[in-house]
Amino acid sequence: MKYAIDARSVTKVYGEGDVAQRVLEGCDVQVPHGEFMMLVGPSGSGKTTLLSILGCVLRATSGEVRLFGEAITGVPENHLSRLRLSYIGFIFQGHNLLASLSAEDNVAVQLQLRGYPTKEARREARALLDRVHLAGKYHRRPAELSGGERQRVAIARAVAGAPPIILADEPTASLDAANGALVTELLRELARERGHTVVCVTHDNRIFSLADRIVRIEDGKILADHRERAA
Amino acid sequence: MNAKARDLDALPAHIARPLPGRAPLKLRWSAMARIAWGMMFHQKLKLFGTLFGVVFATLLANQQIATFLGLMHKNTMYVKAQDAEIWITAPSTQQLPPGQTISEAALMQARAVPGLAWAEPVVVGAGTVSLPAGGREPVTLIGVKLPHRAGGPWNMVAGDGSVIEQPDTLTFEDAEREKLGGLNIGSVREVNGKRVYVGGFTWGLLPFGPSYAFGEYDTVRRLLNLEKDQVSFVLGKLAPGADATAVADELRRRLPDVQVMTRDGFRDTIISYILKQTAIGVTFGTSALFGLIVGFVIVSLSMLSAVVDNLREFGTLKAVGATNWDLSKLLFIQAVTYALMGSVIGLGLVTRVAKGISGAKLSLILPPELLIGSVVVMTVLCVAASSMALMRIRKLEPAMVFR
Ligand SMILES: Nc1ncnc2c1ncn2[C@@H]1O[C@H](COP(=O)(O)OP(=O)(O)OP(=O)(O)O)[C@@H](O)[C@H]1O
Ligand SMILES: [Mg+2]
Repeated sequence: MKYAIDARSVTKVYGEGDVAQRVLEGCDVQVPHGEFMMLVGPSGSGKTTLLSILGCVLRATSGEVRLFGEAITGVPENHLSRLRLSYIGFIFQGHNLLASLSAEDNVAVQLQLRGYPTKEARREARALLDRVHLAGKYHRRPAELSGGERQRVAIARAVAGAPPIILADEPTASLDAANGALVTELLRELARERGHTVVCVTHDNRIFSLADRIVRIEDGKILADHRERAA
Repeated sequence: MNAKARDLDALPAHIARPLPGRAPLKLRWSAMARIAWGMMFHQKLKLFGTLFGVVFATLLANQQIATFLGLMHKNTMYVKAQDAEIWITAPSTQQLPPGQTISEAALMQARAVPGLAWAEPVVVGAGTVSLPAGGREPVTLIGVKLPHRAGGPWNMVAGDGSVIEQPDTLTFEDAEREKLGGLNIGSVREVNGKRVYVGGFTWGLLPFGPSYAFGEYDTVRRLLNLEKDQVSFVLGKLAPGADATAVADELRRRLPDVQVMTRDGFRDTIISYILKQTAIGVTFGTSALFGLIVGFVIVSLSMLSAVVDNLREFGTLKAVGATNWDLSKLLFIQAVTYALMGSVIGLGLVTRVAKGISGAKLSLILPPELLIGSVVVMTVLCVAASSMALMRIRKLEPAMVFR
């Protein structure tokens, strides 16, 4: 169990027969425990697809993926939600918060799903919101928060309950440069403090410097041994 | 300790560990309730739309059933109002008035049966009131024996039951006074060609057929031109401690040529006769069912549209660990909440409507069983109606949240 994420020869084919499209081709990705990795590549290269497979929301066509040594490829469909609860916190391109719930409840619901009793869920949700500099905005609905604030709530939800792996798909895409950098820095700090392993898909070269490592993908292939360290 | 646990122990201390996975059921219910109610009350328009469906169904179905029960009550109230538990009548009798009479001998027999405290005769038949301005109106004449007046008038709003002790005097229905040519106490009318006096008025004794006019036994016999020794009913009151079924069985043994019914038995006979002879049950049943179907469709569609409008949110919930079962809990909680809120509002409204509509001619009856039953039926209806929304949710791929 050397890696938090260990994906080998992952292939994904969408569709069948004439319309079949090979989107991932023999991808090998190893992410050590506690690494903050960025996944970059042109549009359509398969970044989201790979992230979805690592996040147990999409099944690979072939290949093997292990999270903390546990094989997630080949488990039945109805076990995937258990794996997500065990391993993964998600940050999406949009904030994907529940519009009808307050910031606090958005985080608390995730904590309850991870087994926090109601009261503790509330306490921990507030602590996390404090940590992402949203103290005093517990009861705001997403519509009453700025874009950056929403994405910070989304970060609090992703790390709620301390899942070992955080997967983020272009978390800064809907933010301006300053906010994008702020949000990524916050995620970076939290990950270091709490020992999360992070895979962050991004186009945003202004935040590259925050990565421990950048992995490039093109046409569904991980560019061989591309282990650039951020300067 | 297995290999995997050992591996985890070997990790640096600051590294976050894999979590146990699914929370206990109670916490998942609580999380789903929070989301369910949050979503419901956030989308006010959908909330009102769905509630409208439940309220509509509750209101229409209950109003139809209550009206039906009211009509059945009007047609059986004569039987239900008597304290006589045993009714002896012609074998063909299925309603009031009976088509045939029986011999007065049944009365003597009944008085001889142990278990009856008393037995009294009643005559019932068709009467025609001639109106002063010309024309005629039918009434149902009921003659009862003095001094007991078993089967006699009740619910009097003018005069009392004893007015029929005066010669050639009848009571009429208050709600029919205008129809019968502006009746007042002391008015004189011709009934079946003979002069009678109006002695008092009853209120609300209106079956499907003509209203009831009560008079003394021999007065009514004369109006009906009944053959001597013929009666329509013998009413019997049970002695204390006697069992109605046992006494009825004994009477049947002794009186093989007549029909012996308990009070409840006669009531049921009248109701099933009406149901068979008229389409009233089908009419009201269809309307009530229509209400339920419309309610079902409204609730189904609005719950489905609430899901379709929020597909991304449901997809996100799946991605962050909610299962299909968890999301069906969410829909279940919403459905039950809609049902409870809607049926309480609907029942409140129908109770008011019933009060407003009820009068001498029609009373809407809402027994407690109906009210409780409505809540149960609405709950079942809403939960069933949520199944379209559930199917949509089940089809949802969590991967969609990345699109
Ligand atoms: N559900 C799907 N069915 C069929 N083809 C798909 C599906 N999802 C993605 N694809 C295709 O797979 C390829 C990779 O898509 P993916 O979303 O992984 O790219 P990406 O690297 O995330 O791109 P972007 O930077 O634009 O988000 C694309 O050509 C896309 O059209
Ligand atoms: Mg993408």
